[in-house]
Amino acid sequence: MPIHLYVLRRVIFTIPILLGITLVAFVIANAVPSDPINANLPQSQLNNTELVEAFRKEWGLDKPPVEQYLTYLGNLLQGNFGRSIKSRQPIAEDIARYLPATIELATTGTVAGVVLGVVFGIISAVWQNRLIDYLVRAFGLIGVSVPVFVLALVGLTVLHAELGWVAGPGRLGARLTPPPNVTGLFLIDSALAGNWIVFRDALSRLVLPSLVLGMYISGIISRITRSSMLEVLRADYMRTARSKGLRERVVVLRHGLSNAMVPIVTVIGLSYGSLLSGAVLTESIFAWPGIGRYMFRASTSQDFPAIMGVSILIASIYVIVNLIVDVLYYFLDPRIRAA
Amino acid sequence: MSSTISLTPASARRKALNRAVYIARRNPLLVIGAVVIFAWVLAAPLAPSLATHDILAQDIASRLQPPSAAHLWGTDELGRDIYSRVLFGARITIPAGVSVIIIGSLIGTVIGAVAGFVGGIWDEVIMRLTELFMAFPTIILAMAITAALGPDIRNAIIALVVVWWPSYARLVRGMVLKVKQMEYVEAAACLGAPRAYILWRTVLPNCIAPAIILTTLDIGNAILTFAGLSFLGLGPEPTSPEWGRMVAVGIDYFDQWWTWLFPGMAIASLVIAFNFIGDSLRDLLDPRMR
Amino acid sequence: MKRFAILMALLLLIVGSAFAQDEKVLVVGHAESTDSLDPARGYTQTTGIINHVTYETLVTFPSADASAILPLLATDWTISEDGLTYTFNLRAGVTFTNGDALTADDVVFSVMRLKYVGGSPSFLTANIASVTADDADTVTFTLSAVDPSFLSVLANNAFGITNDAQVTENGGSAAEDAATADAAESYLNGTSAGTGPYMLEAWEPLVQTVLVRNPAYWGTAPYFDRIIITNIPEAATQKVALESGEIDIALDLTADQIPSLQSNADVAIASTPGNIVHFILMNADPEIGGPVSNPLVTKAIRLALDYDGYAALWGGITPGTVMAVGQQYAFGPDKALARDLDAARALLAEAGFADGFDITLQYPTFTFQGVIMDTNAQKIQADLAEIGVNVTLEPGELGVSLEQYRSGQQGFAYWFWGPDVLDPIDMLAFVPGGKVANERALWTDERASGDILALRDRARVATDPAEREQLFTDIQTYMQESGAFAPFLQPNVQTAFAADLQGYVWHPQWLIDLAILSSAE
Repeated sequence: MPIHLYVLRRVIFTIPILLGITLVAFVIANAVPSDPINANLPQSQLNNTELVEAFRKEWGLDKPPVEQYLTYLGNLLQGNFGRSIKSRQPIAEDIARYLPATIELATTGTVAGVVLGVVFGIISAVWQNRLIDYLVRAFGLIGVSVPVFVLALVGLTVLHAELGWVAGPGRLGARLTPPPNVTGLFLIDSALAGNWIVFRDALSRLVLPSLVLGMYISGIISRITRSSMLEVLRADYMRTARSKGLRERVVVLRHGLSNAMVPIVTVIGLSYGSLLSGAVLTESIFAWPGIGRYMFRASTSQDFPAIMGVSILIASIYVIVNLIVDVLYYFLDPRIRAA
Repeated sequence: MSSTISLTPASARRKALNRAVYIARRNPLLVIGAVVIFAWVLAAPLAPSLATHDILAQDIASRLQPPSAAHLWGTDELGRDIYSRVLFGARITIPAGVSVIIIGSLIGTVIGAVAGFVGGIWDEVIMRLTELFMAFPTIILAMAITAALGPDIRNAIIALVVVWWPSYARLVRGMVLKVKQMEYVEAAACLGAPRAYILWRTVLPNCIAPAIILTTLDIGNAILTFAGLSFLGLGPEPTSPEWGRMVAVGIDYFDQWWTWLFPGMAIASLVIAFNFIGDSLRDLLDPRMR
Repeated sequence: MKRFAILMALLLLIVGSAFAQDEKVLVVGHAESTDSLDPARGYTQTTGIINHVTYETLVTFPSADASAILPLLATDWTISEDGLTYTFNLRAGVTFTNGDALTADDVVFSVMRLKYVGGSPSFLTANIASVTADDADTVTFTLSAVDPSFLSVLANNAFGITNDAQVTENGGSAAEDAATADAAESYLNGTSAGTGPYMLEAWEPLVQTVLVRNPAYWGTAPYFDRIIITNIPEAATQKVALESGEIDIALDLTADQIPSLQSNADVAIASTPGNIVHFILMNADPEIGGPVSNPLVTKAIRLALDYDGYAALWGGITPGTVMAVGQQYAFGPDKALARDLDAARALLAEAGFADGFDITLQYPTFTFQGVIMDTNAQKIQADLAEIGVNVTLEPGELGVSLEQYRSGQQGFAYWFWGPDVLDPIDMLAFVPGGKVANERALWTDERASGDILALRDRARVATDPAEREQLFTDIQTYMQESGAFAPFLQPNVQTAFAADLQGYVWHPQWLIDLAILSSAE
């Protein structure tokens, strides 16, 4: 199957899932047997019939639920997520403000996790059942078992407060001015602006949270790397490669790793979701101005428009990341190309 | 045939024991995990006799004390004994994690079995539904649900069950599809047994084993997520010695490391233990991993 | 090696050029609570800190207390015989940030906008019947009833004067339908249209607020060119940031953190008794309050609280009543109630609750000036358990809980109060007819005794100091005996800052005046 057809097919498959996500979010937000007006407008505005009417009309509240959902969907397609009760701002604006910080953190966390995980996995596979294998595996298991928020506190206390090896909480030193907003990702924006001081500070502040989040997925990735490497290392073509007299390092890295890549990429896609969850749990500890703190505030204040907006968005990101993973398969696995 | 008959019960037992010892030797992680879980499962019911202090007794004068002989793991911001609270915390976190898994796996198993057995449009609908639920990162979906239901321990469990059932539904459905193809099921159908009966008596028993393995792998995860929700303040009430909640208080007192480290280690030890067991079981059952 | 040296030189150059600009920057670490930076809408502590330096009021207080009323945008004023008409002469030569001159119309616009926009602080205008511009430099306020505290009311940040033309141009309205017609809030959340020494450069909610010097300021220019108020919700993180030099001043530390900071020579500490009173509200409506609507029970609860314990937890004092110590005529800790469990149990038995009762305590999940409300709620629960009252805790998000509180839906709740007006009259909010008593505790005239109503009526209008002292003493004595509130703590305010920072002083109204800070060099 040619690449564009394959991609098109995957994209089309994604659409009903995205629609379904909005439906699930809508059902949860409307499951509460309370008047959405009470839940969505501040007390002081409830007596204002004009405002109440305008709100009813915008969200079709006088209509049956199915129509309400369609109205919501229609607004959503125009980029209108509604207005947050708590911040009183359009949710789309709020998301644009807070999401990049979380994306940046989840992405550097992924990079850290993949690097750690792949290295550990290879070590584990090559020295299978030796002491180092057990140590690495135990370390990986600890990574997935210690709650991220505990890991974050340990990291902050030991690595930052005691030893001073890594920068402290916050996304950027308060004295520095954030780079001009292009992507919202400080690393990219500061590099584009050529502001290396901001770049360095932003990078130094990403180190600890990325390691903490990376620890979690590194455990999963090293496990998968280990098993798929073990499988690959025993395969016939590996024996052939060795018999050709290639050096073991070349055999392992070039032939072994490239063939073990397919399951690893799958896991990376799947664990992006846990990374987003981890970011939500650690943002308050790292004073990280991200979507997790926003979502937390929304869910404790029953700000349902914001809860729906964020859930839909994060679920969509997760679906899209996995779509990208599917497309990556196409390049990594010849069997899909043949199918 | 004769060799089987000649086996006495005692030698069979010895053989089983030898095999267990062999497995344990080869899988030190399995043993460690089992010991830790056993210790916690024992600690929970025995908490009242193991605890050194009343877990609600406040003592402002001796608040935020570091670990000492009087308070093994120190005291918290209201002068309560952290060691005793962590012990009692086992009575909340372990049952919560286990009930999420039990309820979630029961619901998932039933739904998955129906999907696999009935097939057709129902299968399609249920499978798409599971995909939808699995598209949300766990914490996000659980936060949305607790927002709708209000934060307390029961609602946190409900939220996690909603997040949890789909993976069981998918697993069991897959197994049902596989078993359905087998001859004995077809034979039962040919004999005119009702569908529900076939499902109940022949298919399910064959799918239960993998589901049970998934549950052991999963309890650690459920405990972790439950502690996460309660860390965010979406779980039990503030006075509760729930571990995640205790760690959350530590953010305000992170200089006083004992306030958050001990409950944090409690969560970690339990989850590590479950993961040690799960990992070893996976290796035992999946020869490719050896 | 040579290449390395060149590289280092280059690097130094880059680093040097970034810091070479001798802009003086102050970084404030603070748990942001801003609801809005529109003076007519915002009514939180952070809003107050920011708007105090971006907007100015007609009159103000001395820098450290509320002992006098001082001129600011008004140079002088006259009060009519009947106490109902106040006429202010405006200061000449005052300009807004955009260069427009301050006129009487701006004052009328700002006050009417505050009145009609229906924001949280709009209640402050309730007693203002009319505001008129007599000429470009003179404004007259007419009151509906005599109010001895009126000048103190006018010193509230909500009465900050905004630029009529500029705000109107950006959607502002001061008409009677301003609640729906006014659309200037988001504009004012991004810029300031005031006369203060600073102006708002940017507010990124939950991240930071940036202030820069107002070039058109009429008074002496402040020391710092730029002030960054960075949002750090957790006290522990604020402390770490202060120790590492990341921030210059930490506003929300807990008393527990002070000892470990005292040994740090780079850090100075100021600990002052604040003017926030933490109290329990007991709804007087039997349908909502249940057992706590019974006056005997309210007294039992007042006697059951471990006052010394709360003061030890946070540092601070036990106030005599809901009237903060420091307000004129307020009872000091010497006249405060003391714990008496036997008396409390006897009162409960007398009220018919010999075996106690079950009740739910509602409160916001909030940390205010280093006091973690969750912790106090747990202590209240433990204290009341000793007289057989079984409390279930129900924390809520601040905004949600506040809505319930303001609409009188909470039966048994834990809140704190900071005076709106720095005058003893402020405490009348807690007697029937007042905001907190009437609307939140539903302790209305019908549910109150004649004694307190008579005292209240006289206290509202009395102007003679001796008479006022007597009246407020009687009211406080009554409130200790009866009433819907159990105040239990007036915590200290802990502030720590870089040792070279000068001019810090705590103020009961605006907490900190950022414009008077400077740095020793």
